[in-house]
Amino acid sequence: MWADTLLILFISICTALLGEGLTWLMVYRTEKYQKLKAEVERQSKRLEKRKEAHGDSLDKQHKKKIEREEEKLKNNNRDLSLVKMKSMFAIGFAFTALLSMFNSIFDGRVVARLPFVPISWIQGLSHRNLPGEDYTECSFIFLYILCTMSIRQNIQKMLGFAPSRTASKQSGSIFGPPPQQFK
Amino acid sequence: MSSRTKVTEKSVGAVSKAVGSVWSRAFTSNSEWPDKEEFLDVIYWSRQALGIIIGLVWGLIPLKGFIALLLFVLVNAGLIYIYFTNFQSIDEEEYGGAWELTKEGFMTSFAGFLVTWIIIYSGLHFE
Repeated sequence: MWADTLLILFISICTALLGEGLTWLMVYRTEKYQKLKAEVERQSKRLEKRKEAHGDSLDKQHKKKIEREEEKLKNNNRDLSLVKMKSMFAIGFAFTALLSMFNSIFDGRVVARLPFVPISWIQGLSHRNLPGEDYTECSFIFLYILCTMSIRQNIQKMLGFAPSRTASKQSGSIFGPPPQQFK
Repeated sequence: MSSRTKVTEKSVGAVSKAVGSVWSRAFTSNSEWPDKEEFLDVIYWSRQALGIIIGLVWGLIPLKGFIALLLFVLVNAGLIYIYFTNFQSIDEEEYGGAWELTKEGFMTSFAGFLVTWIIIYSGLHFE
C-alpha cells in the first residue's frame, strides 16, 4: 500500500507544479495581469485604510467616495478574473483528461485504508468504483483530492502566487460575502 | 517572493531591522509585529507544520475514528490560540478578532493532516 499512496502523493505534487507552471506561462507573467494585480492590491489597501480611518461615523460625502472606490475595485477584480479564466479553462480540460487517465489506472484498486469511516455524502467519493461495503477502503480520487488541497495552496503561497489577504478580504470569496456587509 | 519582502522591509523601514528576522521573532515571546501580514504568515506556516506533525503522531499511535478528527481540531486550534494569546500576546482585535486568526490556513492544514494521517496509518498497519 505504501507504493500506491506515495505514488499518488507524488502525482499530485507533479500536477500541482505543472498547473502552477502553466498558469505562470499563460497568466502570471503577462504584463496585463501584473498591472491589474498591483492595481487591485493598491486599491484594496487604500479602501481598508479609509474605512478604518472613518469607522462608523460616516458622513454622506465619505460614504459616496468609498462606494465609488468599491465600484472601481469590483471592476478591476472582474477584469482580473477574466484574464485568469481563459487559461483556467485550458488547464481544467487538460487536467480532466489527465485525471481520467489516472482514474482508469487505479480503477477498483484500494490505495489506502482510512482510519475513520467517512460521512455518507463523502462515501461516494472515498469509495468510488470500489467493490464491497468496507467504507474504510479509500479510492484514488479521494486521496488525490486531499493531496491536491493541501499541496496546491502551499505551493501557490510559497511561490507568491496566492492572492494577498487584503485583496481577498475586500473582494470577498466564494465562501462568503465581503465582511463589511455584516456590519 | 523576494520582491514582496523588499516592499515590506521598505514600508516598515528601520523597525523591521531593529526587531530581527521573522524566524527569531516567531520563536521569541512577546515580539513586535509591525507588519500584520508577516505575523499571519507565521500563523499560516506553523499551522501547516502542526497539521503534518499531528498527522504523523495520530498515524503512529494509531488513533482512529471521529474522536481523532475532533482531537485534531481541538489541538490545532488550541495550540495556535495559546501561541498568539499567551506566547506572543498580540492584540487580536487588530487582526479582526480571534476567529480570523483561528481560521487562517485551517482548511489547508486539515487536508495536510488527513493526508499524513491516512498515509502513515495505511502504510504501517495494513500491508
